[in-house]
Amino acid sequence: MAVDFALEPHGDDAILVTFGDSVDPVINRRVHGAAASVRAARDRGEPWATPIPSYASLLAGYDARRLDVAGATSALQALLAAADETDLESDQPALEIPVRYGGDDGPDLDAVAQSTGLTPAQVIDLHSSVVYRAYMLGFAPGFAYLGELPAQLELARRDTPRQRVPAGSVAIAGRQTAVYSSTTPGGWHLIGRTDLVLWDPAREQPSLITAGQLVRFTPRA
Amino acid sequence: MLEVVAPGLLTTVQDSGRPGAVDLGVPIGGACDPLSLAMANALVGNSAGEAALEMSVVGASFRVIADCVVAVAGADMGGLARGESRLLRSGETIEFGAAVDGSGVRTYLALAGGIDVPEVLGSRSTCLVGRFGGFDGRPLRAGDLVRSRGRWLLTTRRWPAAPTLPSEQRLVRVVRGPDAAVLGDAFDRLVGTAWTVGGRGDRQGIRLDGPALVLSTGATMLSRGVTWGSVQLPPDGQPIVLLADHQTVGGYPDIGVAISADRPTLGQLGPGNKVGFAEVSIIEAQHLLREQGADLERTVATLP
Repeated sequence: MAVDFALEPHGDDAILVTFGDSVDPVINRRVHGAAASVRAARDRGEPWATPIPSYASLLAGYDARRLDVAGATSALQALLAAADETDLESDQPALEIPVRYGGDDGPDLDAVAQSTGLTPAQVIDLHSSVVYRAYMLGFAPGFAYLGELPAQLELARRDTPRQRVPAGSVAIAGRQTAVYSSTTPGGWHLIGRTDLVLWDPAREQPSLITAGQLVRFTPRA
Repeated sequence: MLEVVAPGLLTTVQDSGRPGAVDLGVPIGGACDPLSLAMANALVGNSAGEAALEMSVVGASFRVIADCVVAVAGADMGGLARGESRLLRSGETIEFGAAVDGSGVRTYLALAGGIDVPEVLGSRSTCLVGRFGGFDGRPLRAGDLVRSRGRWLLTTRRWPAAPTLPSEQRLVRVVRGPDAAVLGDAFDRLVGTAWTVGGRGDRQGIRLDGPALVLSTGATMLSRGVTWGSVQLPPDGQPIVLLADHQTVGGYPDIGVAISADRPTLGQLGPGNKVGFAEVSIIEAQHLLREQGADLERTVATLP
């Protein structure tokens, strides 16, 4: 299956594979298909590290004591040629995340309403009306980038990030939404909170949300 | 076994890191200076990547609760002589202080048998952002008990060469980054400038203070994977070089990527240090990495 991608070295022990330059489920499926292929090679004992998938690219680290850059590039090319687009969504129903919107749980809800010219109720309706796709995990353990947020809710990040965003906070920025998986600084707009535990390394599946998963938010009192 | 009397600025359990969960947003972490970790570990008979204590900028003080064999490598924080194994007797106290200027900022204290904390996701390293690993995902504090997992080393070991002291201005070698082509002359200005390290001795990255490398066109990029050593260019033009605890993905362009062999140098850079960059090819970078690994193996093989 012919897929367009570009390979270039990233430092002396990784190769960056770029499949596109936009947030697009088709491109993202290719990323995750390629990631699965590299992980399988890693599991077979080939000198690949766990690769890092993102919206439209894959960063594939390798053991530079065992592979030189030319060898790594051609080996990766071969792995990618054999990769399938992974249909990660398959038959899984969307994960439901119950959210308490607004008030102390969503301190930015009113400001978001004001900035978008909507009422808070409309913001909640719009946010909870969409089934989102988890494009990638990053920023913190278990933090999933969900897209795409309805265009009417699009806002730049806050001018001043908060020093402390409580874990479980439901947030928006740009055309993305996410649930903060641990208490960290953060610059997104906080519109609600869930009691679900997004990250627990003791669980068999430590991250509640996995790449490719469908997610929806459900308002709760 | 050691009891922490005073924890220092940031003392955490670190091993060679946790590379398997980067696709879940888990930083690889581990020792910011893996060479010094390997040295301290070799001196007490541990494998190179075994869990040890990493002390940053200002070291910790300990009371010895039970006899144990330890070794120290990295920056000079006093306390114990670096580069040799030492039997500590119950009742002794050891005090590590502020790192001596010019000797680095991170010191490794290895215990024979390795530090006894549970493995989480395949590693004993402390993941501060996720709050797991090491001592419950946090820095050490007064009262913590540091136990070793295994047997003692009975012979004294001493590192054959004196630890190399970094020069007044450190040099870090870099290869051109994936975005160098669209960043105009940013790479050339990176290597042409004497930078001062800003920040607070963070394990995630170091800020470079100097002339702003501002781009003529705003570069917003989709978030994508990054590595230890990536030289990122945020909108304010002050480059950030990522370290062991870096976030797994970033949204800034990469001017260049520091070579793997110079990660230990990066790990010993602290606020106020001067650093310069020099370009090398990837082939040369990989050669330097292999040479560094071979040198370490050869030296470890000579230990009794």
